[in-house]
Amino acid sequence: MARITTEVLVIGSGAGGAVTAARLAEAGRQVLVVEEGPWFDADEHEPFSLPEMVAKYRNGGAQVALGNPAVAFGEGRCVGGSTEVNSGLFHRLPDYLAEEWQHTYDIDDFSAQTLAFYAGQVEAELQVSTLPTAPPPSSAILEHGATKLGWRNVEFARVYRYDQAGRGVKQTMSRTLLPKALAAGAELIADCRVVKLLRPRADRGRVVGARCVRTHPDGGRETLDIQADQVVVCAGAIQTPALLQRSGIRHNIGRGLKLHPTVKIAARFPHPVDHGDVPMHRVTEFAPNLTIGGSASRKGQIAMALAEATHDIAEPLADWENISIYYAAIRSEGSGRVRAVPGLTSPLITYKLTEADMSRLAQGLVHLGEVLFAAGATELYPSLVGGPVARQLGDIGAWWDRSTRANTNLMTVHMTSTVRMGNDRSRTGTDSYGRVWDVANLHVNDGSLLPDAPGVNPQAAIMTIATRNTEHLLSNL
Amino acid sequence: MTSTSPSSDVPVCVVTGASGWLGQNLVRTLVTGRERVRCLVPDADAGPPLELVAPNVETVVGDVRDPATVDTLFDDLGPRVSVFHAAAVIHPAQRTREFFDVNVGGTQMVLDRARRIGVERVVHVSSNSPFGANPTPDDRFDEDSPFNPYMGYGQSKFEAERLVRQAHERGDVPTVVVRAPWFYGPYQPARQSTFFTAIRKGRFPLIGDGSQRRSMVYTDNLVQGLLCAERSDKALGNAYWVADATPYSLAEILTTVRSALTDEGLAVTSRSPLRVPRAVSEWAERVDRLLQSKGRYHQAIHVLGEMKDTIACDIGRARDEIGYDPTVSLYDGMRASIRWCLDHGDQL
Repeated sequence: MARITTEVLVIGSGAGGAVTAARLAEAGRQVLVVEEGPWFDADEHEPFSLPEMVAKYRNGGAQVALGNPAVAFGEGRCVGGSTEVNSGLFHRLPDYLAEEWQHTYDIDDFSAQTLAFYAGQVEAELQVSTLPTAPPPSSAILEHGATKLGWRNVEFARVYRYDQAGRGVKQTMSRTLLPKALAAGAELIADCRVVKLLRPRADRGRVVGARCVRTHPDGGRETLDIQADQVVVCAGAIQTPALLQRSGIRHNIGRGLKLHPTVKIAARFPHPVDHGDVPMHRVTEFAPNLTIGGSASRKGQIAMALAEATHDIAEPLADWENISIYYAAIRSEGSGRVRAVPGLTSPLITYKLTEADMSRLAQGLVHLGEVLFAAGATELYPSLVGGPVARQLGDIGAWWDRSTRANTNLMTVHMTSTVRMGNDRSRTGTDSYGRVWDVANLHVNDGSLLPDAPGVNPQAAIMTIATRNTEHLLSNL
Repeated sequence: MTSTSPSSDVPVCVVTGASGWLGQNLVRTLVTGRERVRCLVPDADAGPPLELVAPNVETVVGDVRDPATVDTLFDDLGPRVSVFHAAAVIHPAQRTREFFDVNVGGTQMVLDRARRIGVERVVHVSSNSPFGANPTPDDRFDEDSPFNPYMGYGQSKFEAERLVRQAHERGDVPTVVVRAPWFYGPYQPARQSTFFTAIRKGRFPLIGDGSQRRSMVYTDNLVQGLLCAERSDKALGNAYWVADATPYSLAEILTTVRSALTDEGLAVTSRSPLRVPRAVSEWAERVDRLLQSKGRYHQAIHVLGEMKDTIACDIGRARDEIGYDPTVSLYDGMRASIRWCLDHGDQL
């Protein structure tokens, strides 16, 4: 068994872990990052393609939160985490939510101004920007449809850097903060899964490191013990609570999972639609409870989306260049749980949707249908088993009653809130800065800390809060 | 625009839920003085009877959740339109999902179309249920009372109110919310006939000591309140409680209905009302909560669970700000309701 010693161990290299590692390393701390997934060359996969998703999501993207209906979810498992594979939309946490969370969970120093300060730093560092050119057709479709209906819509800023020709490159963690961390002296071990945190029997109030299993390029495995003065878990809202539970830390850990359940429509147009990028426009008319946007729409995803609504996908699939996929995501009243199961690598994940959630999803599908017809779509394939496929506005009213628990296919890529931060110990797993209750040198710094679903893409909120928490950690080291 | 004389009335009205209890009363008032009354009704059978009320009634058949139906409802109405949004589900057939589909989803659909054609006002019919029950029998809800939604219906009407307020605040469409408690009056649904029959036969349960208070509203009073809300400039963006002049104790309601039944020539049992311990109603509330948490709904259990509560409001602000002045008393209103039932062949 190999042993390594470091000052700070950061577990996970996504939006939370990369921020933590870069900030600490740049402040002169000795940092080691371990990442369960592989390190891919940034240009190895075609962006937003099915092969990219299969490579960079855990289990090839096939994970499910059990429930009625179940929710399929994608969770990044590679160096850079979900930032490598998401659409890169960067939307600050709405001020009113910051205030609500500050109040409800009694979070210190969580004012809108404080968060704006850190959000500004992250935006500058990642070059968060809007398009320098006209939007691609797939995004203009949303803008056009919404404008025609008089619905509020906006081009969301993204973590993209554009060259002079207007070509954009997504500023993923593997392209930005992780290289910064390494340049400042941090080390990163990929293909290294943390099995459990090490806590001395005599002193359960501390961690001394983590036991890992490292996989070598030849497939060989070895156990690796990493000793650390401080451990920061940034493994995301599913793996972080599972790891804490495996390590015997259970107080408010793994409960209250929140996600943005999402329904989709594959929309066919009488003209070709681009497929190389993901739409950056969002319909915000019904925000925060309901947001409409566009998804990755390569041929593979289109085939899968068509198959949800109809058995007869050959004819529309032959026309796939005219098809693009759009979604409606809701803020859900329901919640779920993550439970580590002894002997199993994957935790058991459950999620319960309320009747109000189911109604809101149906509403989302109907409004999404409206905006797509307004934008000139000729055929809509909803994520309902057996559809029906809609060819005119009069067809989509039927989706209300067809959106049953049995018929509705749901997915999400936004999971949060399985630990939660704040001084109210009765509902949080950590203090106001992510330090785990009753374990002096153990911290969480990822989407698990968000007390609730943010109603927008969570990357900005995760990175903003992670920056704030890392500053606090530094001031206490 | 400050005048409240009928001559300045908006000439075209849209009424959703037009074939419902309130809608039937509202449409019959609106047909006098308005050029056109465009009505949304949920099924084809409900259309012709409404169209017979007056030649200026037009009906659109369909579902308030359906975009194409609501497009038709708002199509070709001319420049000056008021909307009375009274479509809602109060007792779903089985699943609480209907509350949210219709009360929230339908309201969003109506607000959106109202905004698109630029209506002068949307008057939204809300309820006491976003506010739950009063903490004591002497407490009264007013316009500053905090929201405390009571189960699925209360939550759905709360969300609907929030959509309405948001639509006003962000400048989409001018709105007024009218919060109405328990109705009585003509065009009542079958469940209200059961109420009269139960009282007549001494089977209506008097929960606890009967001192709990209830605001009720006679449909004509409510219609007057809706028209005040439509006409008053001061009402814009606000919500108002609209009920009879004062709340009644449950015992007083029973006594008054017994008198009204007797005076309409119906034999009323001399037995005193069925007295039921408060605990029974508390038990029903717990069962109702459990069922609703599983998405299920049982009307009788729901009603029984609410019987113990004081649900009473103060109409002072509607009087002061929009000129609402209820004219029909409980006794007169109940007599008119009973007469309507008898005239329509209901066996009470």
